[in-house]
Amino acid sequence: MLLKREHLDELLNSLSKRARVYLPARRDDTTTSCFALYQQVGRQAFIDASLSLVNTTMPPKDLLFPQTQKMYRYGVDAEGSAWIDPIHDADAVVVFGLRSCDMRSIECMDDVFLTKGYDDEFYGARRALLTTVAIGCTEVAETCFCDSMGLDPNTAPAADIQLNALTDGSGWLVNAQTERGRAALANWQEYLQQEGEKREPSSPLEPAPSLVRSACTLKVNAEGIKEKLDELYEHPLWDEIAKKCITCGTCTFVCPTCHCFDISQENRMKEGERFRCWDSCMFSAYTEMAGHHNPRASRAARVRQRFMHKLCFFEERYGKSLCVGCGRCVEKCPVALDITVLIDRIAALSAASPAALAASPAPSSAAIEGGVAHGAN
Amino acid sequence: MTDIEEKLRERARQLLESEEVTEVIAWGAGRFVNQTTPLFISEPAQADEIVFNDYCINILAKYAFTEQGAGRVAVAVRGCEARGINRMLADNQIKREQLFLLGIPCGGMKERLSGETLDRCKSCTHPNPVVYDEMLGEEPEGAFETIVASQTARFAEVEAVEAMRREQRREHFDEAFSRCIRCYACREVCPVCTCRECFVDQQRAGWQGKQNNLNENRFYNLTRVFHIADRCVECGECARACPMELPLMEVNRKMIKDLNTLFAAGEEGLTSELDNALGRYDTGDVEEFM
Ligand code: SF4
Ligand code: SF4
Ligand code: SF4
Ligand code: SF4
Repeated sequence: MLLKREHLDELLNSLSKRARVYLPARRDDTTTSCFALYQQVGRQAFIDASLSLVNTTMPPKDLLFPQTQKMYRYGVDAEGSAWIDPIHDADAVVVFGLRSCDMRSIECMDDVFLTKGYDDEFYGARRALLTTVAIGCTEVAETCFCDSMGLDPNTAPAADIQLNALTDGSGWLVNAQTERGRAALANWQEYLQQEGEKREPSSPLEPAPSLVRSACTLKVNAEGIKEKLDELYEHPLWDEIAKKCITCGTCTFVCPTCHCFDISQENRMKEGERFRCWDSCMFSAYTEMAGHHNPRASRAARVRQRFMHKLCFFEERYGKSLCVGCGRCVEKCPVALDITVLIDRIAALSAASPAALAASPAPSSAAIEGGVAHGAN
Repeated sequence: MTDIEEKLRERARQLLESEEVTEVIAWGAGRFVNQTTPLFISEPAQADEIVFNDYCINILAKYAFTEQGAGRVAVAVRGCEARGINRMLADNQIKREQLFLLGIPCGGMKERLSGETLDRCKSCTHPNPVVYDEMLGEEPEGAFETIVASQTARFAEVEAVEAMRREQRREHFDEAFSRCIRCYACREVCPVCTCRECFVDQQRAGWQGKQNNLNENRFYNLTRVFHIADRCVECGECARACPMELPLMEVNRKMIKDLNTLFAAGEEGLTSELDNALGRYDTGDVEEFM
């Protein structure tokens, strides 16, 4: 099926009557972008943005795992009895224009929140009501490296519906890939055309659509990275790269797969609200325990944790990489601590001498484990 | 530029060889064209990894603070770094004798993707280091007139905001603060933000709620600016580091402009004396609030 460019707006309008529709949009006066509610986006801005933008600054994870997720309200009533009101705020959502990396990141979060005997009710409620519409990338950023991480920028197999731009710029080829996608397409029908369908009885048959294909320009050598990292836990490289890390939360907050959270509350007089919010393994407070004991007090320990979780631990538990190659952290890290440089460096290390991988100089690991904080961190 | 790069490499090598310093902090190449990244070297042989070009956008000052304990450390300093170092010296956060400052005259830096001069460099008033042990290269005379704007440009953004109607101003800042993701990169890069425990992290006291919403974001951003108000050296690194492009220099400089008006405060970080407007009392100070 084909979606003509001129029908896009009508389609989005119609979808918006049944669900909240989010799509990539650039924010005014900045170069930053995010997934924004269709009705709130200047229509023109969206048309330009969604189709030519490279992946958004902020990933779509907020739609499933909001930066602040309200969980329940509680309080004490006039009679002195306690009450608790759960908060259910999931709505039907269509996310339009997901990139392949974004779609894979949702698969990663599904693993975390919905498998291995854990069923997160807040995430689950939102996920059950989410329709994912992926779009093949028409442009890749300098920092995109998803095809080195086993993804294809042109197709996201797990998406409910996949769009691919036609080379003549007239629209997109539309494919439903899941049950939910096929059901959802029922609402799209009046805006779609059959391939080869004649627009006017007199016009010639349209040829089979030719599709825009993209490939990343940035290539990394991520083969066997998990096995290599298994040997590198005590390697001095963590100390070395951590020197420049300022342990801000940028990389983890812009990452589509980072999912650490904290639970906190806001109290007002006799009632309050409990919520969970994004936290970051780069913050020392994240692992701080009662009595100020902190198993990851040093920057090196935190930097190691982030990269190990992305490239090693997650693979071990869920069989896939937690880095999907979106390049957001590469672009946004204020000190250019670049995961792609690290991946290549690890490949080079193990190629140079497999034995060197096992090197574990005592001072380095002592500095990390001992939690000697640098400066004010 | 290449001349300075040569000299930086040479002096880094010599300082490490003679063991005058244990570490040199400068810039190295990034993965992409026109990208550099902070570099820390401790072996003379690594000196050739040092890079100096138009794209050295990271201000290294804060590393003089985080690298304490590594022995005497050499740091490459331009005007912005030098003022940050003076700030931390004045605040008694670092020790001068633990630093060897390699001064670099600066002609302004450029943004990687656009190739345009950084905003902060356009309004920089001291491109040459105000403190150093050794200058690498001539202090060029009048070389920066093209890039260094006048004092007027320094407050141009603030004046534009002041000229807005109240509601317009509120909308302007609400829009910006609602973008904040509270990554705290602005705090981490700042040479003024050296508190052992930031108010943000005083969870027991609960000044700062962990929820991300306009109220809490506004509270964070305004409290940050109150805390750095009279000590900000206007290096602009907070705004440069901010992934969400918040106009942090507007709020920083609004404070500075008001302090200038009220207390005839000048520019911070020009010396290592502790002399900031809110840190001392003068009988001539205006007391409108009394
Ligand atoms: S790697 Fe970069 S973005 Fe991540 S915490 Fe460190 S400085 Fe911040
Ligand atoms: S680690 Fe970086 S490149 Fe990998 S998925 Fe996260 S933000 Fe994207
Ligand atoms: S760097 Fe920007 S986004 Fe991060 S906390 Fe500061 S103002 Fe907010
Ligand atoms: S507040 Fe911003 S401009 Fe001022 S000293 Fe800190 S980092 Fe530099």
